Amino acid sequence: MPRPEVKMVKFTIDGREVEAPEGMMLADAALEYGETEIPVFCYDKKLGPPVGACRMCLVEIEGMGGKLQAGCSVPVREGLEVKLDTPEVKAAQEAVLEFILINHPLDCPVCDKGGECPLQDQSFGWGGGLSRFVEPKRHFEKPLALSPLVAIDRERCILCYRCVRYSQDVSEDYQLVLEERGSDTYVTTFDGHPYVAPFSGNIIELCPVGALTSRPYRFRARPWDIEQAGTICTLCPAQCNVSLTVRDERVLRVLQRDHEEVDDGWLCDKGRFAYQAIHVDERVTTPMLRDGGELRPVTWELAIETVVAALRRSGEKTGALVGGETSNEEGLLLGNLMREALGSFDLDSRPGGELPLGLLRGLGEPRLQASVRDLEDAHAVLVLDCEPVDDIPILDLRLRKAVRHHGVKLFMATDRPSSLDERATASVRYAPGCGGAFAAALEIALSGAGDLDALSAAAAAAGADGAQVRALADSLKEAGDEVVILWGERLTAGERGADSARALLNLSDRLGLSGKDCAGLLEVPSGANGRGLREAGVLPNAGPGLSELPRSGRDYRRIGEALAAGELSALILLHSDPMLDADDGELWERALEKASTVIAHASFLTPGVREHATVVFPAESYAEKEGTVTHPDSRLQRLRRSIARQGETRAEWQLLAEIAGRLLDIDERPPMVVGSMVSRQLFADVPFYNGLTLDEIGGRGVRWTERPEASAWPAGDSAPFTVEPAPPAASPNGLLRLGTFRSIWASPEVQASPALAFLHPTQRVEISPADAQRLGIGHGQKVTVGGEGRAVTGTAWIREGAPEGTVFLENAIDEDSASMIEGPLVEVRRS
Amino acid sequence: MSDRDLDLLPEFHTSVQRFDKGSRIPGWDRAADLDKDPAEVPDPADTEVPAELRAEIEAEMARFPDIHSAAIPALFAVQRRDGWCTPEGIRQAACVMGVTPAYLTSVATFYDMLNTEPCGPRQVYVCTNISCSLCGADELLGLLQEELQGNEEVNLRGFECLGACDIAPMVSVDGVYVGPVPFDEVPELARQIVAGEDPLPGRQLVKRPSADPKVSGSAGPNPERSDA
Amino acid sequence: MTDLLLFKGIDEPGLNTIDVYERTGGYERLKKAFAMPHAELIEQLTDSGLRGRGGAGFSMGKKASFIPQGDMQKYVVCNADESEPGTFKDRELIQKNPHQLIEGVIIASYAVGATISFIYIRGEYAQQADILEAALVEARERGYLGENILGSGFSLDLQLYRGAGAYICGEETGLLDSLEGKRGNPRLKPPFPAVEGLYGGPTLINNVETLCTVPHIIDMGAKEYAAIGVQDSTGTKLVSISGNVKRPGNYEIELGTPSREIIYGLAGGPPDGREIKCWFPGGSSSPVLTADDLDLSYDFDTMAKAGSMLGSGAIIVVDDSNSVVDVAWKLAKFYTHESCGKCTPCREGTKWTQTMIERIKDGTATPMDLDIMASVQDQIIGHCLCVLGDAMAMPVGSLIAKFRDEFEAEIEEARQRRERELMGGVLA
Ligand SMILES: Cc1cc2nc3c(=O)[nH]c(=O)nc-3n(C[C@H](O)[C@H](O)[C@H](O)COP(=O)(O)O)c2cc1C
Ligand code: SF4
Ligand code: FES
Repeated sequence: MPRPEVKMVKFTIDGREVEAPEGMMLADAALEYGETEIPVFCYDKKLGPPVGACRMCLVEIEGMGGKLQAGCSVPVREGLEVKLDTPEVKAAQEAVLEFILINHPLDCPVCDKGGECPLQDQSFGWGGGLSRFVEPKRHFEKPLALSPLVAIDRERCILCYRCVRYSQDVSEDYQLVLEERGSDTYVTTFDGHPYVAPFSGNIIELCPVGALTSRPYRFRARPWDIEQAGTICTLCPAQCNVSLTVRDERVLRVLQRDHEEVDDGWLCDKGRFAYQAIHVDERVTTPMLRDGGELRPVTWELAIETVVAALRRSGEKTGALVGGETSNEEGLLLGNLMREALGSFDLDSRPGGELPLGLLRGLGEPRLQASVRDLEDAHAVLVLDCEPVDDIPILDLRLRKAVRHHGVKLFMATDRPSSLDERATASVRYAPGCGGAFAAALEIALSGAGDLDALSAAAAAAGADGAQVRALADSLKEAGDEVVILWGERLTAGERGADSARALLNLSDRLGLSGKDCAGLLEVPSGANGRGLREAGVLPNAGPGLSELPRSGRDYRRIGEALAAGELSALILLHSDPMLDADDGELWERALEKASTVIAHASFLTPGVREHATVVFPAESYAEKEGTVTHPDSRLQRLRRSIARQGETRAEWQLLAEIAGRLLDIDERPPMVVGSMVSRQLFADVPFYNGLTLDEIGGRGVRWTERPEASAWPAGDSAPFTVEPAPPAASPNGLLRLGTFRSIWASPEVQASPALAFLHPTQRVEISPADAQRLGIGHGQKVTVGGEGRAVTGTAWIREGAPEGTVFLENAIDEDSASMIEGPLVEVRRS
Repeated sequence: MSDRDLDLLPEFHTSVQRFDKGSRIPGWDRAADLDKDPAEVPDPADTEVPAELRAEIEAEMARFPDIHSAAIPALFAVQRRDGWCTPEGIRQAACVMGVTPAYLTSVATFYDMLNTEPCGPRQVYVCTNISCSLCGADELLGLLQEELQGNEEVNLRGFECLGACDIAPMVSVDGVYVGPVPFDEVPELARQIVAGEDPLPGRQLVKRPSADPKVSGSAGPNPERSDA
Repeated sequence: MTDLLLFKGIDEPGLNTIDVYERTGGYERLKKAFAMPHAELIEQLTDSGLRGRGGAGFSMGKKASFIPQGDMQKYVVCNADESEPGTFKDRELIQKNPHQLIEGVIIASYAVGATISFIYIRGEYAQQADILEAALVEARERGYLGENILGSGFSLDLQLYRGAGAYICGEETGLLDSLEGKRGNPRLKPPFPAVEGLYGGPTLINNVETLCTVPHIIDMGAKEYAAIGVQDSTGTKLVSISGNVKRPGNYEIELGTPSREIIYGLAGGPPDGREIKCWFPGGSSSPVLTADDLDLSYDFDTMAKAGSMLGSGAIIVVDDSNSVVDVAWKLAKFYTHESCGKCTPCREGTKWTQTMIERIKDGTATPMDLDIMASVQDQIIGHCLCVLGDAMAMPVGSLIAKFRDEFEAEIEEARQRRERELMGGVLA
């Protein structure tokens, strides 16, 4: 859809002329353009169209016969005459506040919201200052648990409808509802079930009174004790803008820092509550050295010395794996350390393995990059090989909004059923790992050329149904030509990764996505800063700015193989643990076992680190880091240190520079004294970042693809490619195809946060009713899933939507992770 | 997950009953049970729905351009089967409709005829709104309550205007309107309700001729009411 | 008085069946309507002067003309929620002559191009709903509903929807939400239902009586219909009379009939020996009138000029044996119970009013509370999404204004009673 044009109109508020975009709701226009505030309770732009329930916003509008109008729901137009300063308006505002306060307890002194409460502010600003209500107020039990994360105080609720509208219209989980009617109405869930959903915490911030409060934050601080510090959450690629509530160098709370181009003002519960992991005892906050099989705290000097000595020994026989929480600057420094100080090119940030440079460049081509905003302005969005709610949660809400409010047609092409299926115009399943083959089949279907047989063969290769692929192609064409493909990095993983990338590029070429407004590719990398790390050169086959290297190193998997084979001896892990991130646990167990030195920068002793690290450096959490990260849609965003580094934690960039310096033994480069110098280095080394400054990035970030320097992007291979037809997807033959996924809750931070620990997954074996019946498995029973020799156990989870012939297992969990067994086919039986 | 940390609060937050004018609504004081799983859309794979109920709801869904319109008919179907809208019945209906049970409960509690708390299956309403109360409805309700006291099969309630002020004071017995009900016929009416007999056959609304004297075949000017 | 229209032959045995209905000329008007172009039909409705019988009194023809033309799915919804206290006319129309309504809905649907229509009947009217359901089956069997009706090329799917007990579902947008399977909360307007109504499509919503009148207008022609009644209140009207009268019931009158003639002439007036204290001319939502107003002509404009309204045409008579405080309390309690709870002033204001009146009754109020109560009513009126709150505030406000002395006397009396009780307690 063409992005709507904004037309400015002139209108007056109390005789003063105001200019604002036509159609904007008066309450917003007054605040943003009119330097005056119309008080609101129920209205919030983020919740969608106004409902006009609370009546706080009554204003007078000329020509409406004196009947007051709800300012939250009057779209501004040329010549509108608005009056706020009239006795009628004032009386109405006072009356509404008096009505609201009838049942609102005056327990502000013991209320968490006190001091940052819209009701307090509005009572002060617009209230009459006294109440004529002498009857007893209502009293109920309070506070009550609404979920492990949220407490509800129904006495304080003013029935503004925000939280339930959120649950129904934004997150669409429809768990939080109103029951009863009139003044008996109250907010609740079904039959005493807790409100647990990936985005439930947003209702805390939406509540304009202290009725919904954060249980982890309750009574921890008062607004005058705290400071807010803005930064970026790097727990996943969504990179939501957050504001941390800090008291005495501790993060007490995470709030959204509304950025329409990134997060739309929402957070997922991981982002909102996993701050707790910053301050838990389990966190690594001192350097540690393995001594007699045990990791023991040591001094920084000893740890650094040990590492420098070990790296001197291993030299170019060192490999490095870099995880998504690493900043661009740290990535750049690590690349330098590896390639310049050690002479090793064996570093990688993509667990899926190497892609030819030409394809990497082709996929990253600036003219082909869609923005987050495009998701709602496009005609159609094709979600390909990713599950937004797990992989980039906040975009799940964005896609729901796109469908609900912008009429965007959503198409789902995934191996596992998606939570967005019900909102999709069409959903198609294919066999696990066959995303690329599916893209190829879809391209054939779209081309309209070729006979049915070719399409059926291509669909069969993906384990998909030809007719469904054709139907998807048809309705995709019908939806319009502005299409965004939201695709998961895992599409390009594995041996056929390059072909998959080619198929994807062919597909976008077929759809003509390059250079088109509101269209393009939007990749969901597997690490939070996956895109930035690539652009900073954390790849075996590319340097900063995806520059060509004199030679290529080993990719992620080959580093593991080389370690296992003794060809590499040392391994550096930066925010990374292959035992969680890689899908081949068996290989990595051997590799880590065999490595003579494993150097980890880690916040938690995750399985690989706990069992195999020789040295552990405490890694900074995102609240302690400074530097930049790059959002999947190419927005550079700035991490700002919000609290002192905890314990003995030191800046990671400093440590990397220090180790490199000691290894090189000389001051070859000017010493890096402050973090901003590394950023400057980054902007200089990456040609398409040239000229950027931290100031320019500021609090809102900068999409580099929109700057003129984007032209410095190195040209890549371009479509059309000829792609070898994929071999047919494995046929189950009595066994089941193995599919894996990483849940939003499968993360060490979730596990370490006391409030979230209840969400940390255990193995759940998703299986279709037909397969379950055939295998004699009941819902909730213990089952064993295995290939040759290795097996994991889990709980059978029979789902109506699960595709027959495939079983899905959780990855990236501590025990019984799917990475411990090998596909493509597995046997499932009752334990 | 234990709920203990909420109890870190000082005692007085939860224990003081300062006033007795709380709400009649039991839900106000209800907390979530943190041992339960969240109530998402019930998955057909683990929700058993009896065939008749499924068929009834699906037939309703087919009647409307948007299946959500079947919410009220589905809830009535559950109420007919269980006597009230039981959580289990709501879960089953939600499963058939593909909505969350919370959605259906939210709808059910909005409407006076749908019961979400346990009650008897026989619905007896006495109109106590203005016209009926001008004609003695409150006394009628009191008398009937006395007669039916302790009967668990009958859900007797005072009700808002039932749209039958011409037969005030009146009673609706499972949808059958009777009135005007003289106080001395209350015991007989109560007996009929309990026995499941046709209530006061001579006083049923559907059998009444028009009051308008211009209507041919009408009873002419109505017999004047003596008890007003 | 002209002939009966809506009530013509209403007590004829078997009129609720299609055979009898057809015999009395039923569905003939439908054929006549099918022969007319849509625009002419709507013109007829407009020219007839027919004003909505559901409460608001808006011109039916004008409302129909707001429905946009075009290919989008349009709907007609018949409002048979009839929950306004004192109102029971639609009930008799549906029960005794369901086909008259069905014929009216078909003609209205044809006029605005709606191919899916609904009758939303309140759930309490179970017997009437069953009768209507049976009539719909008959009409479908005879080909008056379904595909290509009577060869006209017009198709209509007409469904009955049973509500579940909520007065607010009579409000047209609350009704739409309820029909869509939600809680029956009224919607923000604009958009008005004529533009964006049921399932987002243009929707014409009319009351049962309004739609039942349509066939008669087609039958006799707009001019002749408009000749009945008075200026701006044309036609006949069903009046439901209840409360303290000797002969409560539904009467079809010509608009403009003197109120006294209706209350005393038709309904027999209050029981012997009693006087009328006040009366609601248009359902419990209308501000009360007193015995001084009995000679007013019963029509839309006169009632409005007298500070009240004709509303749904339901007259409730309160005689001098009753206390106005009790009447006010019943009203407040009803609207508190029925407020959907969306708007603050309505939700809290109705409840607060109820508690204040309860304090009058239990002897803890002072005359100052009457001022507070009156100002609370003022702050409800005109400040909400729909007029449910106003529907309490206007009559309660008018009771306080017109019977302030009586309120004050009752406050004093209750206060003394309470004092005696308290003293009694102390003495005992
Ligand atoms: C609180 C409230 C209750 C209403 N109840 C009814 C009702 O029960 N029946 C009805 O026909 N109209 C009712 N109305 C009026 C409707 O909103 C609407 O104006 C009417 O159905 C339109 O039909 P008409 O133009 O034929 O009168 C009610 C309005 C309000 C505000
Ligand atoms: S005025 Fe009352 S009934 Fe009408 S929408 Fe508002 S709260 Fe609901
Ligand atoms: S903010 Fe406008 S009605 Fe609530």
